[in-house]
Amino acid sequence: MDNSQISVRSHELTRRFGKFTAVDSISIEVKHGEIFGFLGANGAGKTTMIRMLCGLLQPTSGEATVAGFDIYKQTEQIKRNIGYMSQKFSLYEDLTISENIEFYGGIYGLKKEQITKQRDKLIGQVGLQTYTNKFTRDLPLGYKQRLALGCAMLHNPPIVFLDEPTSGVDPEARRAFWELIYNTAESGKTVFVTTHFMDEAEYCHRVSIMDQGQLIALDTPSALKKQTGKESMQDVFVSLLKSRRNGNEE
Amino acid sequence: MQEIWVVMQKEFRQIFRIREMIAIIFVMPLIQMALLGFAISTEVKNVKLVVADQDNSFVSRELVRAFTKVEQFKLVGHVQSEKEIDALIHNWQAQLALVVPKNFGRDLQRGSIPEIQVIVDGMDGQTAGVAMGYAAGVLNDQLQKFLTQPQMRQLLRGVHMVNMQERMWYNPNLSPEQYMVPGIVVLLLTIVSMMLSAMSLVREKEIGTLEQLMVTPLKKHQLIFGKVIPFLILAFVEFMVVLQIAQWIFQIEMVGSLPLLSLLALLYLFATLGLGVFISTITTTQQQAMFVAWFFMVFMIIMGGFLVPIENMPPFLQKLTYINPMRYFMYMMRDIFQKGSSLHYLLKDAIPMTAYGVVIFTASVLKFQKRVS
Amino acid sequence: MNKTIKRIIAIARKEMLHIKNDPRSLSIILLMPVFQLIMFGYALNTELQYVDLAVIDYSHSTASHDLVQKFTGSPFFHVYHYEGQFDKLDELFLSREARVVLLIGQDFASDLATQTQSSVQILIDAVDPNAAHMIRNYCSQVIQNFNAANNISLPTPFQIETSVWFNPDMKSAYFFVPGLLALLLIMICALLTSITITREKELGTMEQILVSPVQPQEIILGKVIPYVFISFIIAGLILFIGIWLFGVPFVGNLILLTILSLVYVLTALSLGILISTITQTQQVAMMIALVITLMPTVILSGFIFPIASMPLPLQYLANIIPARWYLTIVRGIILKGNTLQQLIQPTLVLLGMTLLLLAIARRKFSANLEK
Repeated sequence: MDNSQISVRSHELTRRFGKFTAVDSISIEVKHGEIFGFLGANGAGKTTMIRMLCGLLQPTSGEATVAGFDIYKQTEQIKRNIGYMSQKFSLYEDLTISENIEFYGGIYGLKKEQITKQRDKLIGQVGLQTYTNKFTRDLPLGYKQRLALGCAMLHNPPIVFLDEPTSGVDPEARRAFWELIYNTAESGKTVFVTTHFMDEAEYCHRVSIMDQGQLIALDTPSALKKQTGKESMQDVFVSLLKSRRNGNEE
Repeated sequence: MQEIWVVMQKEFRQIFRIREMIAIIFVMPLIQMALLGFAISTEVKNVKLVVADQDNSFVSRELVRAFTKVEQFKLVGHVQSEKEIDALIHNWQAQLALVVPKNFGRDLQRGSIPEIQVIVDGMDGQTAGVAMGYAAGVLNDQLQKFLTQPQMRQLLRGVHMVNMQERMWYNPNLSPEQYMVPGIVVLLLTIVSMMLSAMSLVREKEIGTLEQLMVTPLKKHQLIFGKVIPFLILAFVEFMVVLQIAQWIFQIEMVGSLPLLSLLALLYLFATLGLGVFISTITTTQQQAMFVAWFFMVFMIIMGGFLVPIENMPPFLQKLTYINPMRYFMYMMRDIFQKGSSLHYLLKDAIPMTAYGVVIFTASVLKFQKRVS
Repeated sequence: MNKTIKRIIAIARKEMLHIKNDPRSLSIILLMPVFQLIMFGYALNTELQYVDLAVIDYSHSTASHDLVQKFTGSPFFHVYHYEGQFDKLDELFLSREARVVLLIGQDFASDLATQTQSSVQILIDAVDPNAAHMIRNYCSQVIQNFNAANNISLPTPFQIETSVWFNPDMKSAYFFVPGLLALLLIMICALLTSITITREKELGTMEQILVSPVQPQEIILGKVIPYVFISFIIAGLILFIGIWLFGVPFVGNLILLTILSLVYVLTALSLGILISTITQTQQVAMMIALVITLMPTVILSGFIFPIASMPLPLQYLANIIPARWYLTIVRGIILKGNTLQQLIQPTLVLLGMTLLLLAIARRKFSANLEK
């Protein structure tokens, strides 16, 4: 692949916590405008991987670049070029919706007019026009999460990292959220998303499956289905894990 | 600069959104100020006194009356024997006992030097010491009075005594409020500023919003200053309000310069807020932060010269007080308040205090990592 | 009932794990009281020492020299001669180089030789009025000693003999060790309880527990039990150190003390529960707990400042502070061996307070749920 096309690249990226290896020499390449899914059970190492790529966590070994910047030395440049939404809800519940947007906009150094423009756009996107002066804590979770995603992208970053963005919301809200992800990718941004919902994997351009810190598969959903001969991603995941466990036992 | 402003704005919004918080920051200190000011005093009053006047003469009754006239003592009863005194002290009903022996008046006239006994319950060592001093004072005054009586005058022939005239500077009436109230203001300022700042960063850590901030280009110092400056402003406003109201409630007046005091208060706040932020960076939960802050505050209050003058402490503890920022501000506050000292005389406290703030803030910024642990 | 106990134990165990997994907090909770006790023990000293005394001697006589010698010989004073100008005397106080100035006039020696009385002036920095008072007394003592040495037959109409009972050295530890017990028990029980409960609210885990079959009372009981344990460990530690390091006598009944301490702990816990029902965030809970436990306990309970010395309204106010009653109990048992009969009043007051606090907390709690 041409280097200029790559937005995230890791090479044998590893992170250990004491004796426990959370991420075990993972190498991936993610293209511009791609929706890249990271699948795995809880504790498979998805969050650790994302945190390393965002510059929140120092890797134990291996290399990686995000938007062309090195994750060891250029974390500050990376932060200017990414949006990040963590598992935990990250807006201030005791601020109103527009106050939250103003705050994050200000932090990213947006000008006042820009913030106002972005705010109106975002509120329109999420469908919160009548709620702008409501406290964030009073919103339904689905709205909160779409709003959080909007806040993480106020500065128009080329790459977005989403760590389990849809956990805990109803199917309707999940669909709405994924619509937002699609729009984001269509506008040319790279979306790096972790999930443990297998049906969501269907929406990704490519998925990688993690288990116990290791990468056990990486391809398009249809290729993975063909490879395992299964109908759904759920079955693909189960069969891949099963064969891996069996393989380990032998 | 814009980023600091954005963070400040957010902090202010969050603080003022919690109604209890405003009450805690502004109303509570005033109530405490009033309570503390009236309650705290190193003076001892109404020491429960029991008298065994075995003489019951005019002279002995005069002597007992001298005790009842001062507010330090409160006569709770008359008894006859030492055994009764023992029972009363045992049940906490008396702290001090005065035994005037039989024939006291007669012996006094004859010049055969009778002996008055003062018994004190030593359980409360501090009060006991002070009460004994008072009792000695009352009795000494009586001694002087007897000496001036005509029949004593002949005894004084050929005696050459030095007599002491004392002048109390700055606080001629020895009013305890003059001393304690400024100290209490410092205390309240310390508690509010440290608690607010110690909980600040760690609260976001716990709620999870800090992780979000960490992936933004926001710089460490921007975050820290943006969080601390609102507290600085709040604490300073509170300081001014409490200071004014305290002067009004307790009818005391500050002699020194208010601008100078304000400047030093800001520098002091810089140090305490820095300490709070430092605590916030080394802890992971609010509960932990609170314990650590609590630990520091107790140390600061005990070793800050608020209750116990630093000069009274053993030398090794005195040295330890140099790492306590409260020590410096307590001295300066009291000096400005009562002596009207100028900056010139306070530099020896102002400089280490300011250095303290700079060091602790630098340490916090260095210690704070834009990473998760 | 059986299920209730099981659930309470489960919650208590979970809380214990929280505590165990946070060794930093635990060590602070355990070490701080000890540290406080030792600091108090050594720092709380009402005796002044090394008071800087500047001498201005215009007499330059043998007599004045002798008088200064008496001051130098006293352990209270650190004596030096002031060489500066007289009208810049206040600089001594402003720069805190001296706390007292002894001013001996020109005529001192001749007056002393010819007259009954000869005067010296003592200027005292009275910023700290209590210290000023003591400094005055020390000076007066030194001068009396000088007079006694100078006059073979100094007349005294009567003599004063003082004796100190129970604590002849007047060690302050006797009184503040029990006081510290009262302070720490209420701080740990009220503060930790309120924080640990609001923490669950703030992190949203409370809702989850509330929809489970667990009853709110069970949650609260389960959460507080570990802290009761911890507070008793601390109480034991303080008592041990107080007795061992500071020689506090323990003359009473340990079992009675434990039982009555439990009553006090219940009061403190109810206070903590009440705080947690009226607050939403840990920060607010902590501030309130601090404001209504630490401050009043230190100031109004008689822990440091005798209640009898306070103005009358505050003496009444002191009655609503649990520690004020517990102090009567704990000092009575430890220092004087009081029995339950003698302590029945404070015990009943504490029980009454507990019931009242719990009743209010209950009403607030159900009111909150209805919202």
